[in-house]
Amino acid sequence: MDNQLKRGLLDVCVLAAILDEDSYGYKIIKDLKPYIELSESTLYTILKRLESAQMLTVRSVEHDGRLRKYYHITDAGVRRIEDFKEDWKEIMTVYQFVTKEDHQNHE
Amino acid sequence: MSKQEFLARLRDGLNGLPQDDIAERLDYYSEMIDDRIEEGLTEDEAVAAIGAVDVIVPQIVSEIPLPKLVRESVRPKRQLAGWEIALLVIGSPVWFSLIVAMLAIMFSVYVVIWSVIFSLWAVDLAFAVSSVACLIAGLVLILRGGGSAGLVPIGAGFILGGLSVFLFFGCLAATKGAAVLTKEIAAWMKSLFIRKENGR
Repeated sequence: MDNQLKRGLLDVCVLAAILDEDSYGYKIIKDLKPYIELSESTLYTILKRLESAQMLTVRSVEHDGRLRKYYHITDAGVRRIEDFKEDWKEIMTVYQFVTKEDHQNHE
Repeated sequence: MSKQEFLARLRDGLNGLPQDDIAERLDYYSEMIDDRIEEGLTEDEAVAAIGAVDVIVPQIVSEIPLPKLVRESVRPKRQLAGWEIALLVIGSPVWFSLIVAMLAIMFSVYVVIWSVIFSLWAVDLAFAVSSVACLIAGLVLILRGGGSAGLVPIGAGFILGGLSVFLFFGCLAATKGAAVLTKEIAAWMKSLFIRKENGR
C-alpha cells in the first residue's frame, strides 16, 4: 500500500481502537493485527502525533506493580473518525468511476 | 536477549537524543515487553517480537527533525563555569563563522546537485524549442519557394525533437536520483550527530 495513504489510515485505525474504551499500546497492536500491519515504533510515532494534535490523552495506570499507559480519545479524535467516514464515501464514488472505466476499456 | 540488555542497547543507540525522549521511549518498549510476557511469552520471545535494535534505532532517528538533534548535541550537559562563558563569547568570531561556513557548505552541496538538474532540463528545453524553430524555418523556406533547401532545417528539427524526447527521460531519472541523494545526505547529516555522541 502507498506509504502516504497507509499513514493516514493508521491514524484513524489507532483512534478507532480506543473509541469504545481506553486502551494501551500492546492491546492496540493486537486489536489492529487482523486488519493492518503496525510495528511498535510506528505506533509510538502515531500516538505522539495524535497526542500533540489533541486527538487523544494519555494517563498512566498502575498494573501489576508497574505502570501502563492508557490512551483516551478526545472529541477532536472522534471528529477525525467522522471526517474519515465522510471522506471515504467520496473515495468510494471515485473508486466506482475508476473501476467502471477499467471495465469498459477491457471489453 | 534479556529485556534489560535490549533496553540498554536501545539507550546506547539513542544516545544524543533529548533525555526525556529516550526515557519515554524506553518506558514504552519496556511496557510492550512486559505486556507480552504477561500474556505467556518468555522474556526472550517477547524481546524478539519487538524487533532488532539495529532496525528500530534508524527508524526512530529518521523521525526526529534535524534541528532538534542539533540543538540537543550542542546543549551543555552541565552548568557552564564563568570562564567558559567568557571563552565562548571571546571565541564567538571564530566558532560563529565556522558554523556559518558549515551551513553554507551544506547549502552549497544542495545547490550544486540541483543546479546540475536545472541545467539538464534547460538543455532539454533548448533542444525542444530549437526543434520547433527549425521545423517552422524549414516550412517557411519551402513555402517561399526555397525548394529542397527547406528540407535541411526540417531534418534538423526532427533530429533535435528526437534528442529532446530522449533527453527528457534522462532528466527525469536524474531528478529522481537527485531527490534520493539529497534525502540520503540529510539522513547522513543526522547520523553525524548521533555518532559523535556515541564516540564520547
